[in-house]
Amino acid sequence: MNWGLFVPELYYLAVCGILLVLSMVTKPNPGRDLVTVLFFAALGVVVSLVSVRLEGTLFSAAYRVDLFSQVFKVLLAVGFLLIVSLCTELHGIDEGHHLEFYLLLTTCTVAMMLLVSSVELLTIYVALELSSYSLYLLVPLRRGHDAAVEAGIKYLLVGTSASAVMLFGFACLYGVIHTTQVAEIVRVLPGMLGQPVATIGLLLALCGFFFKLAVFPFHFWAPGVYQGAANQVTAFIATASKVAAIAILMRIVALSGGGDAYLVKVLVALSIASMTLGNLVAIRQKDMKRLLAYSTVAHAGYVLIGLLSFSPSGYASTIFYAFAYLVMKFTCFLVLVKVAADGSDLQIAQLAGLHRRSPLLAMALMVGVFGLAGIPPTVGFTGKFLLFTAAIEKGHLALVFIAMINVVISLYYYLLVVKAAYLLEPDEDRPRIRLSAPITLLLWVLVTVIVAAGVFPTYLLGVADAAARALLGV
Amino acid sequence: MIVPYGHVLLLAGILFVLGLVCAVARRNLVMVLLGVEIMLNAAGIAFVGAALRWQQLEGQVFVLFIMTLAAAEVSVGLALIVRAYRRTGSIDQNTYDLL
Repeated sequence: MNWGLFVPELYYLAVCGILLVLSMVTKPNPGRDLVTVLFFAALGVVVSLVSVRLEGTLFSAAYRVDLFSQVFKVLLAVGFLLIVSLCTELHGIDEGHHLEFYLLLTTCTVAMMLLVSSVELLTIYVALELSSYSLYLLVPLRRGHDAAVEAGIKYLLVGTSASAVMLFGFACLYGVIHTTQVAEIVRVLPGMLGQPVATIGLLLALCGFFFKLAVFPFHFWAPGVYQGAANQVTAFIATASKVAAIAILMRIVALSGGGDAYLVKVLVALSIASMTLGNLVAIRQKDMKRLLAYSTVAHAGYVLIGLLSFSPSGYASTIFYAFAYLVMKFTCFLVLVKVAADGSDLQIAQLAGLHRRSPLLAMALMVGVFGLAGIPPTVGFTGKFLLFTAAIEKGHLALVFIAMINVVISLYYYLLVVKAAYLLEPDEDRPRIRLSAPITLLLWVLVTVIVAAGVFPTYLLGVADAAARALLGV
Repeated sequence: MIVPYGHVLLLAGILFVLGLVCAVARRNLVMVLLGVEIMLNAAGIAFVGAALRWQQLEGQVFVLFIMTLAAAEVSVGLALIVRAYRRTGSIDQNTYDLL
């Protein structure tokens, strides 16, 4: 067995070990802990970049390393680094628990890296559970919030029930299909749907799976968890864990070979329901984190559009969109964390007068939100344009039309956020927000990336295209 | 195989439904957690039955992993319930309605 293929995962596992030992033997020291973890996270990005060209399978073909999985590992490593860089004001977490917080973030990152390479039921199950258990513990870590404990318990009970349902579905599938390889299952399954056990198994497995990924109609736990968790944890769930969810969905859909009329219909229905419901409910949200939670549900719908075209260009545009989503969502959360520096929940009304308190934050928020809404020249526009073009090539005109209407609906609530930041006057004077030099630099980098990747997407598209080809094995 | 696969699946199905009812209907958080455990064990039985049907080891391995993860789940779940009990003094689901 070639352990070299396993380098990024082994690296993050080692970091987990180091953080575990540190959390047991040293006295809490937030400044030092942050610098340590930042160093490890930055090194992790380098490690995953170096191993981007690896290819092969591990553990009796239960684990596949290819350009697709490695590109997503780089995205996850970058997401992890970005989230750690948000932790200069980690007031939502008790100071004695910062190392445990970083440890759980790291285990979750390892689990998601395992997930994007999994091609077998058991590896998928173990990776999904490891990432969810880390999150079950991260959510109630928030200091002094009854809502956080409640959100943690609800998340745990809903999540474990969902995984039990999914597991029973797996057991039924294994009972009729004779294998646990996902590729084999999706190949044989369409011919077996006449058997009740196979149908029940598929339904249960999908229900549990969509629950975990918060795809409509199993998303209802998400807003409560988003609101209850500390701001940095919410940012992690909304960015990195969604990128992993997109990756595993793509993997399964791609393994099915594509084009099965029934599967396309199901995905179209899910996509329309997810984006319409997400956008309509987002309109009446007052809490910024809840609004971003529902916008995540809506974005799941857009991503499904790319998947259901079953073409290399569709997959490539989905990978591109995952990158765009990561950057745009993170920018919004960076602003949120900085404005609510005491770690409290941020109401949209509290954004009033942001352009005077900190012009840079207001601009970054505007660029990030315009990106999510898909206004040119941001990367969000380019991403949506590519997704929609790929779908039109396959003749899904009605779907793209509904998606366009949804984009217009979403503009309404995104513009409300921008209006609050730029036009509304605050009822009381709030102090200016001071930004440290690295954060200022990070904001400029993010804004530049969002705009530059929107105007010159060629290089990123090339990478996404190569990854999509690796995924399909052509 | 002395016991037919259909019977094993039926047993697993009944156990799964019992666990599901327990998880959905009970208001006590500990009982909900127990219900989830029963569901996981039902899945385990289904896996063992399937492994016997195909004369493969994959199903058996799966059960070992399920047991390990179920133990982890209970430890995480009970820790959370204890923390919640300390804050609110109750393990009744109905007291948790902030969100």
